[in-house]
Amino acid sequence: MSENVRHTRGFDLIKPLSITTLLIVMMPLVLLPLASIFIFGTSSGLASFWRALTAPEAIFALQLSLVTSFWATVFNVFFGLFAAYVLSKYNFWGRNALIVTISLPTAIPTAVAGFALLLLWGPYGILGKFLEPQGIHIMFTAAAIILANIFVTFPLAFGVIKPVFDTMNQSLEEASATMGATRWQTFWHVTLPSLRGAILSGALLTFARSVGEFGSTILVSGNLAGRTQTAPLYIFAKFNEGQVEAANAIAIVLALFSFVIFSVLFFARDWLEAE
Amino acid sequence: MTQSTEKNQIAVSVEGLSKKFGEAAVLEDINFHVKEGETIVLLGASGSGKTTILRIIAGLEKPDSGRVTLHSKDVTNLPARERGVGVIFQSYALFPKMNVEHNIGYGLRLRGKPKADIKEIVNGLIELTGLEEHRRKSPSQLSGGQQQRVAIARALAYNPEVLLFDEPFGALDAQIRTRLRREIRALLREIKVPSIFITHDQEEALELGDRIAVLNQGRLEQIGTPFDVYNKPATEYVATFLGAANLLLGIINEGKFEAEDIFLQIDTDANVRDGQSVKLVFRPEDVFLRKPENLTQNYQLLTDGFVEEVNFVGAFERVVVRLNISTRQPIIVTRPKTETTAFPLEIGQKVTVGLVRFRILPNYTLASERASRVV
Amino acid sequence: MKFRFGSIFVLAVSLFSMSCLPSAPSGGGKGARTITVYGFSIMKEAMEKDIYPAFAAKWKAEHNGEEVNFVSSFAGSETVTNQILQGAPADIAILSIERDVDRLIAAGHVPKDWYVTPQKGIVNKTPFVIIVRKGNPKGITDFADLGKDGVKLIHPDPVSSGGAQWSLLAIYGSELKKSEAEGGKKDETRALNTLKAIWKNVIATPGSAREARTQFELGQGDALVTYELEALLMQDANAPVDVVIPKSTIFSEHPVAIVDRNVTADERPLVEAFRNFLWSEEAQKAFVKNHFRAVTNESFNDTNAQFAKIEMPFTVEYFGGWEKAYPDVIEKVFRDQVQNK
Repeated sequence: MSENVRHTRGFDLIKPLSITTLLIVMMPLVLLPLASIFIFGTSSGLASFWRALTAPEAIFALQLSLVTSFWATVFNVFFGLFAAYVLSKYNFWGRNALIVTISLPTAIPTAVAGFALLLLWGPYGILGKFLEPQGIHIMFTAAAIILANIFVTFPLAFGVIKPVFDTMNQSLEEASATMGATRWQTFWHVTLPSLRGAILSGALLTFARSVGEFGSTILVSGNLAGRTQTAPLYIFAKFNEGQVEAANAIAIVLALFSFVIFSVLFFARDWLEAE
Repeated sequence: MTQSTEKNQIAVSVEGLSKKFGEAAVLEDINFHVKEGETIVLLGASGSGKTTILRIIAGLEKPDSGRVTLHSKDVTNLPARERGVGVIFQSYALFPKMNVEHNIGYGLRLRGKPKADIKEIVNGLIELTGLEEHRRKSPSQLSGGQQQRVAIARALAYNPEVLLFDEPFGALDAQIRTRLRREIRALLREIKVPSIFITHDQEEALELGDRIAVLNQGRLEQIGTPFDVYNKPATEYVATFLGAANLLLGIINEGKFEAEDIFLQIDTDANVRDGQSVKLVFRPEDVFLRKPENLTQNYQLLTDGFVEEVNFVGAFERVVVRLNISTRQPIIVTRPKTETTAFPLEIGQKVTVGLVRFRILPNYTLASERASRVV
Repeated sequence: MKFRFGSIFVLAVSLFSMSCLPSAPSGGGKGARTITVYGFSIMKEAMEKDIYPAFAAKWKAEHNGEEVNFVSSFAGSETVTNQILQGAPADIAILSIERDVDRLIAAGHVPKDWYVTPQKGIVNKTPFVIIVRKGNPKGITDFADLGKDGVKLIHPDPVSSGGAQWSLLAIYGSELKKSEAEGGKKDETRALNTLKAIWKNVIATPGSAREARTQFELGQGDALVTYELEALLMQDANAPVDVVIPKSTIFSEHPVAIVDRNVTADERPLVEAFRNFLWSEEAQKAFVKNHFRAVTNESFNDTNAQFAKIEMPFTVEYFGGWEKAYPDVIEKVFRDQVQNK
């Protein structure tokens, strides 16, 4: 049908129509909100934008976000790799229940996650109350933020890596074994290279999600400016104080950051898969 | 060490291999050996256990009982990586993130060989398998035949005790299949490494193997040279698996095969006794048709019959002949061109049926028989 | 090959730089002491701009150049209290309603005698006023007008904001006071009806007084009931607003308490010194400068020309203190009869 239309009109209408519709839908939902941050942030001039950006507490918040997200990502990628390996390779009673449990944290509202951590590790928490007297403070520190991030982003890397394990050809491992490789050598030389793409995606997803985490962080960090205040918390605090501009400056930084991350992911993916 | 003693050394030996999966017997008391430089083909349908035997020899599966010996070393309890076997998988299992050179050198890198040595060996293998222009390519850029060659080179790199091929031609087109078969055969003759192939294709088995082991539902029916297995099948299964076969029931009487009016002299080495119920097995190409009066002495006379069907099949003619016995049994006969031109046949024509060659097998009611079991 | 090496190098450097926690921007030099302050939202400017530096300078001069750093967290008063209850490491809590201090006492964080000071533990106060758009287009003259049709009100959530609870008491109490002045008796029905009418017009209930102000500044709503200090800060920033002073309104009084549980023996002198400093002339004058009203000496309040004169002021004592005000007004009147109707 559309083919006939194409021939009579001399050009294909569907293509530009579809693309336009796509853009129109994305405009109010995604493109305009993002643009408004950028527009507002630079509206009172670059000088005040720069000032807001270089405030020591702002810089601290950004650094803290990056560092806590980094460690949460490192942990979750290693764990995701390990869990995907074990759960893909071995069958045992309760395996599927474990897989579901690993995926659970995304379904839990982040505030609930934060609160649960407080109830467990807080100074009066179920386990925390034994650690307090030893001088071990977990909550209201950067460690708490990392813990909360680990919880909330738990299934992300795992979810990306496991399908690769599942679809991996078992013969590859067997071939490596017959050629003399130990299990570790097989993992390192054969399995891991095939996972490169998934590990990178998993890491970037986890990292980006961690940087933006708010609901659990605000509970477990104590929101101490210049100590345990991450970038999203900083934005929120500035907003509440009415310093919308300062909030906006950091929001722009975070938005740009995510943009960079996903661009890297996009281009590196091809590079990794190609080889 | 002289060549003859080398040839007769046993490289691989499998003794009393058995394996059960639940209640079903996957393998039952498998015994055979592979001599140095020899190629053995394990032939059988799917479910015959041939893949399991291969995997047990490779160390990828464990038998319930039995022993596997490689060059006089009992490897039954060794894991795959300590056995030094070279396996060519059905899917070739080339490492996707390594190029051809790295794939081939993998086994050597694992063994910690110095870089220079690895380079030398890899280069030699690339030359041997004719992969020079592909050495930097990744497996996804290679054709099926090329991938197979990489798989073989890879396995040869570390001087394996034995090469194990898992239905290597399954994924290829018919034309390529025959060509590659010959190439592999030539290659194996050149490198003199003992090899075991598994396949379900009887033509492949006949062409590749120095000896063929026919497997049926976990049991080894017969092992012998292609000639023996084809022309002297030990069981009905072997006879029908390796080619078309005609069967005629009868008994042994006074040392002769007897069925109604049919009397045939049989070889003295046939393991049968008087009064035993037997099957006469003969192949379509071993049948000679003539006008009733023209039968020469080279053939044993079977009986008369008439031509029911004549089919032209290119290189030969396939004829269905109804025998002149009470069962009116039809047999299949193939006739080469020389025959068809010398003696053209028409439907309905009366013919005399003579046999060049035939086998006598005990008539057991079981689907799987053992020639050695005489009741 | 070069590209790969280069990108790996960049990756390694960025990874390394992300692995170590950043150092706190607020100093933390050798031998610096730290006081952790958790306060309710609108205390932020006063504390950070004037109080902290003043105290740090004083301490440094009196204690051999010892540095004092402040670490603070500000949110709605209820939220702050909840954080401390969950174990947030506060040394000092400055809250907006005494009831929150009671909650801390109940959990054992603050001793029962916390208010034993001349000012009964109150550090500053401010009356509740109404902020409207410039020109007062909706013609608001007092609390009751907020119940008029077509008025859209922003009011923080009483569950999380102490300021919200003050506001409810201000509205309810002002009606009682007025009816008392007019007819000699407190007319609870009238007060209840006013409250109902006003609550009907609430379009948003953000979590703290500060959040409510931000939403109002961004253009939501026609009016906002809040601390006088917020109104004055907005006027200082030249926001297009007018302030309506009600005839009768409540003075919110803000308690400060030392969170005993988190303060060690050697930290005590420093923390106590800071708390006491809040009642010093220097601090009280700083509060006035930041639009809070002083509690030690009324004359300080005269220095701020922007402070309004309230005709019929009252405090929470008018209801019999928070022990009565909370159950009687916030729960029985507001929650049961207005909110959950």
